[in-house]
Amino acid sequence: MIPAGRGRTVRTAGVMGTVASIHVIASDGGGHHRDVLAAIDVCFDELRDVERVFSTFRDDSDICRLRDGLIQADEADARVAVVRAACVDAKEATGGRFDAWRRGWFDPTGYVKGWATEKAARRTLAPLLGRAGIDAVGINVGGDIQLFTGADSAWLWHVGVTDPTRSGEVSATMEVRNGAVATSGTAERGAHIIDPRTNTPVIGVASATVVADGLERADLWATTAIVAGFDDLSWIASAGVHSGLVVSSDGRVRRWANGLELTASDRSTAAPDALPFAVRRGA
Amino acid sequence: MKKIIYGLLATVTGVVLLFSYRTSLDAVAPAASTGSTTGDGSESTPSGSTSTPSSSPSASTSSNSLKDGSYTGQAVDTRYGPVQVQVTVSGGKITRVSVPQYPTESFRDQQINQQAVPTLVSETLSAQSAKIDMVSGATYTSDGYLQSLQSALDGARA
Repeated sequence: MIPAGRGRTVRTAGVMGTVASIHVIASDGGGHHRDVLAAIDVCFDELRDVERVFSTFRDDSDICRLRDGLIQADEADARVAVVRAACVDAKEATGGRFDAWRRGWFDPTGYVKGWATEKAARRTLAPLLGRAGIDAVGINVGGDIQLFTGADSAWLWHVGVTDPTRSGEVSATMEVRNGAVATSGTAERGAHIIDPRTNTPVIGVASATVVADGLERADLWATTAIVAGFDDLSWIASAGVHSGLVVSSDGRVRRWANGLELTASDRSTAAPDALPFAVRRGA
Repeated sequence: MKKIIYGLLATVTGVVLLFSYRTSLDAVAPAASTGSTTGDGSESTPSGSTSTPSSSPSASTSSNSLKDGSYTGQAVDTRYGPVQVQVTVSGGKITRVSVPQYPTESFRDQQINQQAVPTLVSETLSAQSAKIDMVSGATYTSDGYLQSLQSALDGARA
């Protein structure tokens, strides 16, 4: 599977209740192997440190101590204020479909993974591209991916999207050089996405996948897409969102790119040279 | 040639549709049919040339008669600017579709936009699904990871 002349270094680590996988593609077969492994370790460490501050599963995290009134906002880790400000913006940008205060206290769990992964990857992994022979670097944290590829490299990341209706299957693929792919859904952990506007579990969308420049944004909009529902794609032209797809609970698919929905037409009635798709502006 | 066109469109449609409507797409198809064989692609990627067609019988049978090579269509003017499509055939299957000429000046910057268009496995050529580097999906638990496709990829390549 690895193209000739290229080597791939893969490391995994448990973080944030899931597993992070880092892949480094190098054409020189590992001339910077020690530096690569060091960068990977630093990245994993940064993610673990974010977990220490933000986890709602650890009573001693800053988020839990804030919730419990044990510390004040100005006593918390500086990153808490950064994320809080981002969550204020996210609530605004999504029209309340994302709300870190839904539970009555500041719980940025749905935001932190994408934010932290993008930040750590940009700081620790992306600089590896400056090394001779290193083509590309990518990280996948529990199904949310941030990818980097050197400007001079021909490398393309082939990203598969799991099929929420058929375990172990891929329903779609896409090619990415630089960017992020996030998928939200109920396939792995049951119905756990709540519409903050009604405080009820969201049904109807099995999974939503969003491609954006950065994982912070991709993850936010993938979650928002679930809450918006299968019938509402009005948000796909939002800032930073490039493309994606939503899969309904009964297996229907809608997808879009650059703010345009791509719709399949009925092939069986189409003329041989007719296009298999039509395109609709807006949604 | 219709098979080539059809396969081409099924694969590249998302890319082309980014800047075109039906009218301009109609113009793209004839361009591909009048394309010439150049033998080797003017651009080649290591990933495309080594992809292994899967054994799925559903998608590949119609293209068995394709002759290996790289087919480049003429540039066609659409209302968004010139569009050109190139199809690479290897082992009787379309292994790569590229659009060397785009109408947008800032295409290089927008490369992610163009290439990140989701292609549904149900409608794509089987060769495309055989090669995956990373898997995006609903967040798995640490235990769930062990059964995940990503775990298989990591294990195979670690």
